[in-house]
Amino acid sequence: MQHIRNFSIIAHIDHGKSTLADRFIHRCGGLSDREMSEQVLDSMDLEKERGITIKAQTAALHYKAKDGNIYNLNLIDTPGHVDFSYEVSRSLSACEGALLVVDASQGVEAQTVANCYTAIELGVEVVPVLNKVDLPSADPDRAREEIEEVVGVDATDAVLASAKTGLGIDDILEAVIAKVPPPKGDVNAPLKALIIDSWFDNYVGVVMLVRVMEGTVKPKDKLLFMATGRNHLCEQVGVFAPRSTQKETLSAGQVGFVIAGIKELDSAKVGDTITLAQRPADSALPGFKEVKPQVFAGLYPVEANQYEALREALEKLKLNDASLHYETEVSQALGFGFRCGFLGLLHMDVIQERLEREYDMDLVTTAPTVVYQVLQRDGTVVNVDNPAKLPDLSKIEEIREPIITSTILMPQEYVGSVMTLCNEKRGNQVNMQYLGRQVMLTYDMPMAEVVMDFFDKLKSVSRGYASLDYEFKEFRTADVVKLDILINGDKVDALSCMVHRAQSQYRGRQVAAKMRELIPRQMFDVAVQAAIGANVIARENVKAMRKDVLAKCYGGDITRKKKLLEKQKEGKKRMKSVGSVEIPQEAFLAILQTGDK
Amino acid sequence: MLSPQFTSLPPLSLYIHIPWCIRKCPYCDFNSHEGAVQEREYINALMSDLESELPNFWGRTIHTVFFGGGTPSLFSADAIGEIIAGVRARTRLSPQAEITLEANPGTFEAQKFADYKSVGINRLSIGIQSFNDAHLKALGRVHDSAEARRAIEIGLATIGNVNLDVMFALPASHTGTEPQTMAECERDVETALSFNTPHLSFYQLTMEPNTVFAKKPPPLPDHDMAADMQLRVEAFLEAAGYVHYETSAYAKPQRECQHNMNYWKFGDYVGIGAGAHGKLSMPGSPTEPPRIVRTERVKQPREYMQRAIRGDAVHERRIVARNEVGFEFMLNALRLNEGFAIREFEERTGFSIALVNRALNECEAKRLIERDHLRVKPTPLGRQFLNQALEVFL
Repeated sequence: MQHIRNFSIIAHIDHGKSTLADRFIHRCGGLSDREMSEQVLDSMDLEKERGITIKAQTAALHYKAKDGNIYNLNLIDTPGHVDFSYEVSRSLSACEGALLVVDASQGVEAQTVANCYTAIELGVEVVPVLNKVDLPSADPDRAREEIEEVVGVDATDAVLASAKTGLGIDDILEAVIAKVPPPKGDVNAPLKALIIDSWFDNYVGVVMLVRVMEGTVKPKDKLLFMATGRNHLCEQVGVFAPRSTQKETLSAGQVGFVIAGIKELDSAKVGDTITLAQRPADSALPGFKEVKPQVFAGLYPVEANQYEALREALEKLKLNDASLHYETEVSQALGFGFRCGFLGLLHMDVIQERLEREYDMDLVTTAPTVVYQVLQRDGTVVNVDNPAKLPDLSKIEEIREPIITSTILMPQEYVGSVMTLCNEKRGNQVNMQYLGRQVMLTYDMPMAEVVMDFFDKLKSVSRGYASLDYEFKEFRTADVVKLDILINGDKVDALSCMVHRAQSQYRGRQVAAKMRELIPRQMFDVAVQAAIGANVIARENVKAMRKDVLAKCYGGDITRKKKLLEKQKEGKKRMKSVGSVEIPQEAFLAILQTGDK
Repeated sequence: MLSPQFTSLPPLSLYIHIPWCIRKCPYCDFNSHEGAVQEREYINALMSDLESELPNFWGRTIHTVFFGGGTPSLFSADAIGEIIAGVRARTRLSPQAEITLEANPGTFEAQKFADYKSVGINRLSIGIQSFNDAHLKALGRVHDSAEARRAIEIGLATIGNVNLDVMFALPASHTGTEPQTMAECERDVETALSFNTPHLSFYQLTMEPNTVFAKKPPPLPDHDMAADMQLRVEAFLEAAGYVHYETSAYAKPQRECQHNMNYWKFGDYVGIGAGAHGKLSMPGSPTEPPRIVRTERVKQPREYMQRAIRGDAVHERRIVARNEVGFEFMLNALRLNEGFAIREFEERTGFSIALVNRALNECEAKRLIERDHLRVKPTPLGRQFLNQALEVFL
């Protein structure tokens, strides 16, 4: 156990975490060059493209250190985005150490800080690394200062590295050995294994990545899952090196996988503790939480006959993503579809893209919304995750919206504009802290505003320098109203959205104007109205198209005309008929595209 | 039934493509090439090409011939005469056949009109485009309006049976003219009408892919203005006694273009020359089922001539599938204001009208067509929104 080190990497998106992980694997001979396709740990295509790690993964490395000993280094990869903060905390609690990787030219960002604080709270040793020092814009001294000022970690000995060129890789591994304590735990104690991650494999069912804290687990053990209370028989244990390798046992201090013939992810929840049914631990490991979706949107197939295919695709995604929620929803405008719950906007984007790319689905997505708590006159409280389902106004006593605490980190010169933005978004300042050249602002803010367009606006007012982290705080009474959109006099349920009363007039006008822009001219006039209750607050008109005919069509060559019409028809397929009006997919997100005042 | 059943074969036309132009116009997407005209070599190639196609229409009468381009009027009257004689010698060319030649209204061409008549051309289609010099320039045309007027007069005096091709919704040139105004469009219409030709074609200028205009779109009159111009053109021409019989074609009574009518009614045509398209109905034989075959010749003049001489000018030959034939028929037939007789559909496609019944019902529900048990025709709405109707058949 003295020669084991469990560590993970904390880094902002693009600060080079995945490249660094690849370097470690390469350095320790985990894979041959041929197998070493770039960025091994990010195995999903989408992750490669976006440079983010969605699911935690791991690699067991064997490193011969300068002291002559061979160390077993377990690298536990963590997701780097705000939507996945719970997963990050579970990954971190499986480690004794974490590399804090900071881009030497860009400095510290908000998510890094948040994750670092989590690490410190969990008692994880933080080892600072300055990456990308080979770039001409690198400023290691400044980055070092920032780490000390913002994160509060001594950075005097921060390792200088470049994952791209391979500089400093050995130094990092040596620092891990020197600074990260070896795991503790009694191999003979009752089993306590933390589920860091779980996913579905077509051949063996659910695979769980675990950190054994106490005791030993081996095949044929009868396992007890402490949060769900379920029993399963252990079939296989092993490690990822990074390819999976079976072992006879996994014992205290080790990180590896457990397979127990489990069919659905709900039985193997991230953060749960596995123990032995015969000899259970007296208490579960702390920190387990049920993850609840925060953002909801309707997903509809463009063509009604694709409904079953969409259901199958969602089922398959759900196999590997316990945080994805969905249930059938029927919209008058869009027909049969699903109301889906996501951890956040990035999660939603990723699911949408995977549906379109991997499952070839053509989707109409409605504008994302948060969950509102509605207190009714009869004293009951209902959760509303779809504005169209808001109870009748006469029954509503009050509406409560989710409030988040957001932490924003930015260079000093942008504080003014970021504060203006936060105030516009109905934020309440909670704290402001000067940390060297950076400022950390803490605001309580309605989550609905963040879901809308806050992140994009934040990036634009700060020229991309501000970074954001947030967590749910509470539900708070809010003066929000439902904004309806009518097309040719008919209310389109899928276009309804919740807005703050103070902004409702302005939003209504903006949405109607944007819809006019997005809806192409049709064979007849199309009237777009925005209304609150029975009160129409904006009206726009899409003038009828006058003609749609090919002027010249000498019968000789019909192929090109045919192609042209096929293309035109193909374009329409990406639209949804609501009544007799063809509405393009992007129009259902018009509320998100309403510009500034 | 998977293959068509023909009770009789459709009328047959012959299209001859002459691929050269003095200068390629920026809006043109036809197979035309700048460069030296090679009359002798090309005539030989055409004849050899025709011979290689003969077995596919052996014994059938050719009712119309059309020389298109490119600029066929770049060819000498002797050359055109030799081609017509060659066709007559190899095929059954009807003595009453309409034989049209597309001509540019340049001075050089107009001088040849009388000679064209003497070698057998009996219909002339002149590419006027506009009578406004600024617009002609914006269109990249090599002639001016004075030449255009003279060419029409000469055409009328010699061949007599003349069509004028005119366009509207014309662009601004890059040197600063404005896009065409309604008044300018009206002036072009009035000028065109003043010659009292038996046939007029008025097209809205369209930005075609793979043209200079598509890459660098010039400022154009907007959608509403173009639609207004279309209505104005229709009104003026109908008031002057022309029948609006196809989307862009207008004729004095009984003076419709026979060759184009055959295209529009899903007739058969042999296409020879570089890049020419053909469509032939094959009655079937003990070894092969009946079928409709489309052909396309190789496009590059040089390659065409080399291959045609070996009897190998066909770039692609494909059989029209059962699920395509309905659309292909409608693509042209619904352009005719009178539509088509159901009997014609069944004769020409070799399939029962049931093949397209569902699509016809949908179009009828959308008020794009009207029909009884004998005929199907586009409604005024359907004529304006023909593409919407055609999409239903795709």
